[in-house]
Amino acid sequence: MNTILTVKDLGISYPVGKNEIPALQAIRIDIAPAQVVGVVGESGAGKSTIGKAVLGLLDQNAIIKSGHIEFLGQNMLSMKEAKLESIRGKDIGYIYQNPMTALNPVLTIGEQMIEAIEANTNLRGKKARDYAIELLEQADVPEAEDRLTKYPHQLSGGLCQRIVIAIAISAKPKLIIADEPTTALDVTVQKAILNTLTKLCRQHDVAIMLITHDMGVVAEMCDYLYVLRYGKQVEQGPANDVIYNPQEAYSKQLMAAVPRIDKRVERFVVPGEESIQGKHAALTYLHDKEQSTRNSLQPILSAESLCKTFITPATMFRPKKEFKAVSGASFYVNEGETVGIVGESGSGKSTIGRMLLGLHDLTSGKVTYRGKDLAEFATEKERRKHSLSMQCIFQDPYSSLNPRMSAGQNITYALQAHGMIKEHEASELAGDLMALVGLPRADKDKKPYAFSGGERQRIGIARALAFRPDFLFCDEPTSALDVSVQAELLNLLRDLQKQFNLSMLFVSHDLAVVRYMCDRVIVMKDGVIVEQGSNEQIFDDPQHPYTQSLLAAMPRLENIA
Amino acid sequence: MKKYYSKFNTMKRIASGTFSGHPAAIIGLIGFLIFVIVAIFAPWIAPQNPYDLMTLDIMDGLLPPMAKLGNGTTAWLGTDALGRDILSSVIYGLRISLFVAFVAVIVGSFLGIILGLLAALKGGWVETLVMRAVDLKVSFPGILLALMMLAIFGTGVDKIIYALIIGTWANKARLTRSSALTEMSKEYIDAAKLAGLSNWRVMMHFLLPNSIAPVLVILPMSISGAIGAEATLSFLGVGVPITEPSLGLLIANGNDYLLSGKWWISIFPGLVLVGLVLCINVVADRIREYNNPYLKSRG
Repeated sequence: MNTILTVKDLGISYPVGKNEIPALQAIRIDIAPAQVVGVVGESGAGKSTIGKAVLGLLDQNAIIKSGHIEFLGQNMLSMKEAKLESIRGKDIGYIYQNPMTALNPVLTIGEQMIEAIEANTNLRGKKARDYAIELLEQADVPEAEDRLTKYPHQLSGGLCQRIVIAIAISAKPKLIIADEPTTALDVTVQKAILNTLTKLCRQHDVAIMLITHDMGVVAEMCDYLYVLRYGKQVEQGPANDVIYNPQEAYSKQLMAAVPRIDKRVERFVVPGEESIQGKHAALTYLHDKEQSTRNSLQPILSAESLCKTFITPATMFRPKKEFKAVSGASFYVNEGETVGIVGESGSGKSTIGRMLLGLHDLTSGKVTYRGKDLAEFATEKERRKHSLSMQCIFQDPYSSLNPRMSAGQNITYALQAHGMIKEHEASELAGDLMALVGLPRADKDKKPYAFSGGERQRIGIARALAFRPDFLFCDEPTSALDVSVQAELLNLLRDLQKQFNLSMLFVSHDLAVVRYMCDRVIVMKDGVIVEQGSNEQIFDDPQHPYTQSLLAAMPRLENIA
Repeated sequence: MKKYYSKFNTMKRIASGTFSGHPAAIIGLIGFLIFVIVAIFAPWIAPQNPYDLMTLDIMDGLLPPMAKLGNGTTAWLGTDALGRDILSSVIYGLRISLFVAFVAVIVGSFLGIILGLLAALKGGWVETLVMRAVDLKVSFPGILLALMMLAIFGTGVDKIIYALIIGTWANKARLTRSSALTEMSKEYIDAAKLAGLSNWRVMMHFLLPNSIAPVLVILPMSISGAIGAEATLSFLGVGVPITEPSLGLLIANGNDYLLSGKWWISIFPGLVLVGLVLCINVVADRIREYNNPYLKSRG
């Protein structure tokens, strides 16, 4: 077969102390001209290491154990640095995960583009400038000429990524390596960027090696697929076969864990999953809560025309600036119901949650929780006491636990501080709750750094459960996690909700996750609720044009059984 | 018991990570420990008690190093004008210097950390007050501030400690505040607030342990700085009283004799001062380097 890139039996290790940890083992990849090849896997699979190895940009301490990389008939691994430099940028383009940091913040777009063009082509001066404008236009950047004088921080993430793409194709490379090119971007932007990238590569006959964890993106883009796990190649084949008819157990699991947008699945299939039934101690603790006196016909939580305006005060040099994060948001959450809030970044989803929880003051509006207006409490202390049964599951598992406390202390510290339980009970309870969320009881004495992201998120859930909550605010609880871990956690949250009749407000930018989790859905844009309705209404028959465009932009996996 | 054992192991691991493969830092650490041990056990190590006037003999005055004294002992580093053994004076001087510096830096850092945490947690006028006070302190030359204070309060070991505390709290407050602000934007602080914990608990159990690391890293550097500052002030005659000579004052004592060839009175305390500060600085550098992930030589 005619290939431009051949990776054969590649093995790379990293030294850790006195041992060597293999990062890649026996990797074989072939890319034909103008082929779009996807390399997928979860974090730690070694996807990015492959991209770096091809470019000769591995960390200094990386050890190449075996194999070779051939690009256009040249051996890349034995090549001198000077030669590599002439290939990078010229024959192989690179697109980075975060466009905002990939561009130099102190140079204008024009300076950076012209520098790259002059380095990799024969064009100089005015001609290079004209070519830069042409490239930007090809990359669908509006007002291309004007953008050349701008700095990266003046442009949105999507525009910056288009500029990175324009730079990558400037020297008409044979291959572009794109490492999670749209992970940092909103779905509507992602869709447009991927379209541009595909279009350009078709035009110029460029092959793409797309490194990503996002199955939806892969399904829409790729011709051929390599699935990686723990540095080993699990499966390879034409994209459609691998996605819709995976052969290996791991690929099957991976595909089954991808949340679906076209229909609401009952439950993700996660092998080896334990049900929370039978974890008696914790269940007894959680059921043993005061029966609240509220009228069950009333919603447990309601918000009336919530507004939040952030004000940057005027200084000597700048007038006062106002930013309306949320305006006029009204909604309610019934007992035992999960309500989803979807929207792109900056739409005010998290701000709403923070206002409900009392972490932000309200600019105006009213929050009623269990029949009481939260503004009516005389002191902060009384309000907190009333809202202790209102807890949060945070977005970033790496910053949501106190790193100096053990997992168990993180879970029970506050209960002890309030005198709600005794010290010897605390340790017992921490163990029970850890078991409930699927962690080994004995791990309660370990510090957070000893846990993975998914495990930390489970500890965060256990901490919220310790208060016997009635209402949980989930702020993108799985956005930092791998898809299989996400599936486990979403299953867990749903089990807990059913078991304890929890009410949840579930914020996510991922429509598919909301489709799985929520009974009703609120769609937000620029701080305003544009549409709300039941799961089926929103996903099957969206009324508002914004909702329709969001749904259209979601990458789809149509035919998985 | 088991818990403390494991804590000790952690410390051992951190120490070996910090120092192994860095001979300069190891030598510095050993040197520093020797200085500290000598200072602590001064009464048993020093051949003479330089404060005890009864043991001094004016006839032994200004003897060069290795000279025999009237009572038959040898003055390894010579004697000063009063017949005091220089070696003994240096050992006792080391004691005063280290004591003053340690107390001043520990109290000053404690003060700075508390103020920095309060500024970060409370915000508003508390923050303005603390941070403007820091600005005020930092905008003043340190030695000038100390001279002024000592001129007002008079001299004495306690007074110079106060002066040095005033000199050390400010940068700790600033550092603590900035690292506390970073921590406060993290979600575990929100979780603590949602749990209805009091400000005091949030500060002591959540903020303090997580934002103190940068201050601990610059602590050794502050100690060597304080030793130098104390020596300077004592040399200028506004530091410790003549009855409790520190290294700086010993150098000042010998200053008048330098030109008449009696070099040993100033030079030996001077060498010890240089050696001490150098040892601490080498160790401090290594600790800072180890804790700064951006420096390549981390290992």
